[in-house]
Amino acid sequence: MTTGIPGWVPVEHRWFGLDRRQMKPAVFVLVVALLLIYGWPALNAIVPWDNPTRAGDVLNLGDGATAVPPVGWQLEDGTLVSDRTGVSPTSDNVKLVKAGTTIQMTGASFNGTAAQFLDQVIRSEDPEADISAAPATFTTASGLVGVVRSASGSGGDELLAAFKMSKSDPAAAPALLVEVAAVPGEFQQVSREIDTFLRSITSGVNE
Amino acid sequence: MTVTTAATKDAQRAAIDESGWGARFKFFQPHNPAFWVYVIGVGAGAIGMIKYFGPALGGTYRLAVTSGIVFFGIYLIPWLIFLRRQNRYTAQPGKLLATGFVWGAVAATFWIALPANTALLEIWTKLLGPSGASTWGAGFSAPIDEEWSKGLGLILLIALAPRLVRSAYDGFIIGAFIGLGFQVSEDVLYAYNNATSSFGVGQLESSLFILALRGFAGITSHALFSAVFCAGVMWILGRAPGERRIGRGVAACLAAMFLHFAWDDASGLFAWSNFLIVVGPYLILMPLAIGTLLVVRRLASAKERAWMRELLAPEVEAGVIDPPLLDAVSGLHKDRRHYRKVVHSRHRARHLVESAGDLAQEIAAAGGQETERVAHARAEVLRLRGT
Repeated sequence: MTTGIPGWVPVEHRWFGLDRRQMKPAVFVLVVALLLIYGWPALNAIVPWDNPTRAGDVLNLGDGATAVPPVGWQLEDGTLVSDRTGVSPTSDNVKLVKAGTTIQMTGASFNGTAAQFLDQVIRSEDPEADISAAPATFTTASGLVGVVRSASGSGGDELLAAFKMSKSDPAAAPALLVEVAAVPGEFQQVSREIDTFLRSITSGVNE
Repeated sequence: MTVTTAATKDAQRAAIDESGWGARFKFFQPHNPAFWVYVIGVGAGAIGMIKYFGPALGGTYRLAVTSGIVFFGIYLIPWLIFLRRQNRYTAQPGKLLATGFVWGAVAATFWIALPANTALLEIWTKLLGPSGASTWGAGFSAPIDEEWSKGLGLILLIALAPRLVRSAYDGFIIGAFIGLGFQVSEDVLYAYNNATSSFGVGQLESSLFILALRGFAGITSHALFSAVFCAGVMWILGRAPGERRIGRGVAACLAAMFLHFAWDDASGLFAWSNFLIVVGPYLILMPLAIGTLLVVRRLASAKERAWMRELLAPEVEAGVIDPPLLDAVSGLHKDRRHYRKVVHSRHRARHLVESAGDLAQEIAAAGGQETERVAHARAEVLRLRGT
């Protein structure tokens, strides 16, 4: 029996001032919520990555644009040409990881040059970033011209490369950003692979 | 003066007691553990929200976030008007629905779904590969994390208002409000994410694009999925006499999760036809979702309609409400349409149905007793009927 006064909890139902009758739903919600919030990340932590790039793999960057990934890196995001899946050049994402180095490729729509695109990226992501090196021109094996900037700090090394994915009409073409981040001391060990990777980027079959 | 039999008066009191209609909702309940779980969830969600949008509001993406909030704030208005109209029969108090909306907008999204989806999507990427995960990952993650995170809000509201949340229709309406909160919050997040994908170029156009895209698709989105899912939860719990239907409840929950999966993974489901990838969601999935919603709404409202009839039965006996009006106020859309034909006026029919609803509300609030407000509501019905 209750007293009938709203909010009044009979003494036999109290537990540290709380109404024990509502404990079950409250605990149920808390447990399920915590399972979703921390259970999936815990499971994720014990499931290993097992998607290494192999010799002959070619990344699909959309509209016929491609890149050849370094062999033995984990492909955590991105589509291979052999997957036969459609990729939009303005929204494609590629993530390659090896030890302490990550290569992230992001497609975007942008009107302007590769240098203007890189400026926009730096302005939008972190205008205060310590990107000391001056922009340098980078030309891929297929003749695609891009802009590269690098930065070094106590957190590691970073390289930013921007391309417009057309040799004939770069201003209106989709843009591609390649971000390489490495923990301290790691960049030198993978710099040759990264250079080869960047040089393998092509702008598409119709170019 | 009304004349009623003891049997109908007893049935009326039983309907008021079972439905909990007229009970008041008080949010601040420090003795209730569910209150503290709610506060923890919304508090942690608010912190997550500030962490997510905070840097954007003070930097490059300020326009994207503010325009997203403004656009989807305006977008919310017709939804609230629409859902208010659905909050009929033993209508839920606005404060309770607002509590559900906030859970959906803040806790379900930023406390639970965001971290859960991030981890589960990565698990699918590891298991299916990046290409497989991009096709199926969203549909294999969101129906689990998001439908459950929203459904937990309903469980908390049951614990916060056990007398008010009784029938499957209560779950249907509360679920719709929780889902609407989730939907609008997610829409603002999408407006922000879309601006970041173009590195801040054309933020206003980007928000307008998301408004057009998500605004239309929002017809069959979280509000619909949650309404179906939460009606299913109420059938499983069976909180109203004779309403425990575990099979039906599980079917409704699974239907909501399937619709969510199909909507998210339409490109995988229709991969065999480029035409269907584009139009399938609108020509096949949207009608399927709306059809499911209408069936669930009809089934869920049965108990509430019965309560409404019992609640107004003494008024019918007394001649205050005639049987066609009782059918309209306690019936389905087709009954209200029929009533419009009976009274030969859409306008008058609407007024009469609304005044009968007011009378039911006042009788419930008074616990079946005669009060000044009940007498006034009754007089209003009689005035509008012209008797």
